[in-house]
Amino acid sequence: MNGWTTVRVVAGREMYVKLRDKAFIGTTLFMLVLISVAAVIPVLISQQTPSYRVAVQGDVAEQVVALAAEMGLDAQDPAQQTPPMLTLMGAGGLPAADITSVVLEADADPARFVRDGDVTATVVGDDVQALEVLGAQSVPEDLEVLLRAAASQLQIARAAQDGGLSADQVQALTSPVPPQVVLLEARPTGSVPPQFLVLAFAFLFYLSVLTFGMSIAQSVVEEKQSRVVELLVAAVPVRWLLAGKVIGNTIMAVGQIVLILGVGLIGAWLVGQGAVLRQIVDASGWFVLFFLLGFVMLACLWAVAGSLASRVEDLNSTTIFMQVLVIIPFFAAVFATDPGPTQRLLSYIPFTSPLLMPARVVLGNAEPWEPVVAAAIVLATSVLFVALGARLYRGSVLHTSQRLKASQAWRGSGD
Amino acid sequence: MQEVLTLAGVTRTFGDRRALDDIGFSVRPGRMTGFIGANGAGKTTAMRIILGVLAADSGRITLGDRELTPEIRRRFGYMPEERGLYPKMKVVDQLVFLGRIHGLDRRTARARVAVLLDRLDLADRAQDQLTTLSLGNQQRVQVAAALVHDPVLLVLDEPFSGLDPLAVDIMAEQLRTRADAGVPVLFSSHQLELVERLCDDVVIIDHGRVAAAGDAHQVRTEQAGRRVRIVVDPFDDSAGPDLTEPAGAPTGLASFLDQVPGASLHTQDGPLVVMDLAPDADDQALLAAAQRYGAVREFAPVLPTLAEIFREVVR
Repeated sequence: MNGWTTVRVVAGREMYVKLRDKAFIGTTLFMLVLISVAAVIPVLISQQTPSYRVAVQGDVAEQVVALAAEMGLDAQDPAQQTPPMLTLMGAGGLPAADITSVVLEADADPARFVRDGDVTATVVGDDVQALEVLGAQSVPEDLEVLLRAAASQLQIARAAQDGGLSADQVQALTSPVPPQVVLLEARPTGSVPPQFLVLAFAFLFYLSVLTFGMSIAQSVVEEKQSRVVELLVAAVPVRWLLAGKVIGNTIMAVGQIVLILGVGLIGAWLVGQGAVLRQIVDASGWFVLFFLLGFVMLACLWAVAGSLASRVEDLNSTTIFMQVLVIIPFFAAVFATDPGPTQRLLSYIPFTSPLLMPARVVLGNAEPWEPVVAAAIVLATSVLFVALGARLYRGSVLHTSQRLKASQAWRGSGD
Repeated sequence: MQEVLTLAGVTRTFGDRRALDDIGFSVRPGRMTGFIGANGAGKTTAMRIILGVLAADSGRITLGDRELTPEIRRRFGYMPEERGLYPKMKVVDQLVFLGRIHGLDRRTARARVAVLLDRLDLADRAQDQLTTLSLGNQQRVQVAAALVHDPVLLVLDEPFSGLDPLAVDIMAEQLRTRADAGVPVLFSSHQLELVERLCDDVVIIDHGRVAAAGDAHQVRTEQAGRRVRIVVDPFDDSAGPDLTEPAGAPTGLASFLDQVPGASLHTQDGPLVVMDLAPDADDQALLAAAQRYGAVREFAPVLPTLAEIFREVVR
């Protein structure tokens, strides 16, 4: 049995503990639900076409509703879809809707159907200028917009015909052709703005490093507090223990991130957001690589933070430095979401580059060699920190009686 | 297997305090060696150095003719003074984990854990979390942790502390079985009667130095020799004409023997008298004096108990 097997056994135990940890499973499920909802909800909202049953009484009412139904149907054609923003602002375009009409007898009570809830609304009238729309408590906004558009189109058409315009002229009046927008430097158009993606990545990294870092520190101090560490140290070299801990937790952290990204991607794919999918897939490769390097870089230091404590209660004070080391880069990255010299600089600093370099790749403002160089810098820092962490861990892990300072741990491993 | 663990010239200082000062002793295969000494005498430090948890400043430790290496130490079984296992892991899972840490493969570890739990009467608690077990049962799991990998040497720091008499018997039986299989067993204890009952060899340590070490009986003989137990049937005219008895002094035989140069009374109980002899005193003179007093029924050196030797040594 060699060192590697031992490291695997230690890593295996870390994963065993994590997989039985209710808090870990809970947060993972919560994040999965969150990401699925985030991927699916906007699409559901924007794509679901409402259906309305509308009762009509009178010839003109019938014509208007028929026209509105046609317009609602046309609006469902994706080629004609206007950006959702424009619809909201009412600057043009019509909402999509399925409208079916029910013709009422002339002597029927139009209000009764509405009150009974058989139909969404009833349109009554033989005169286009005196149409009435009856609703129960309210009339859905998009239905009202469609009816209004249909009525006005009908009136324009009548007025134009009365004025003796030709069919083409009437067409031009009722359906003016909007100008076509041509982009000279088109970005990949997802419906997710790239800045948002940067934020999402930064947040995932931040959350993951903080929770798993804390759990590494906790796992170390638990072994100290329960004194089992003396049994372990008697059996295996301290650096193998440290390696096993870091590797086990890294696998869990990366696994969790890949799972969350994967579910998010599958969600986006299922609801057909092809453009977003492409955008995220392109960036995820770099994101996962930087995540891995950044995580390992900090993991050993988290283990040290744990080994400096002698009880779980000490963890707050011994990990404060680590928390700062994670939180400050996070905010730096959040404030540097826009391209610029600050972002460029920060994307090379090892603490912020796992957050910002993948973001720059997404934003498309990084040269192909830039992420490679940044990754190399993070890797070099990781090696340095792993060595530092191993020494401090060795110096402090057997001092079970009291809280240590980092300098004591440094001297302690001189033995 | 069947190799002797030998410490020679092992020294260790913490700051300016010398915890171990040039100590040397052996732990022989097939024998149980009791490690006794006052609190702070250096027992735990010596054990930690054997296990490699602490490093010695100087000195050699060998098993057979090999210097200890991490590979050899890995096959040692250890029960630290401060007990501890993973509180929230299932008993069986953590024993398998510890077995694998000590170099067993998964299948062997599982098989050995099953056997051990059965033998320690814990089979029905295998799937429980450690914290749900009583303290006594947790201690048994700790024993299992030291034995799971079939160690070539057992080092146990206070294995009997906190155990009820039944558990002490189970534990002692486990250790005896290992020793009989040829494993050197070293354990420390403050329960000296227990050590006396169980141990073949003893090591007594005081202020970081070995005060006595070796076969328990021999250590007791060497430390004894100068204490004699005498039973005499007095003659009628036992009090000789030249012997006077000052008031408050020992009576009869005791006061008679007290006259022998270098002899002093230890205890007296009717016809039974225990005398201490100074290093230069002549035990034959004492015997002669006793014979003058009456018919000597018994005249034998007394073996002090370990507790007595211990008090003697650490005084």
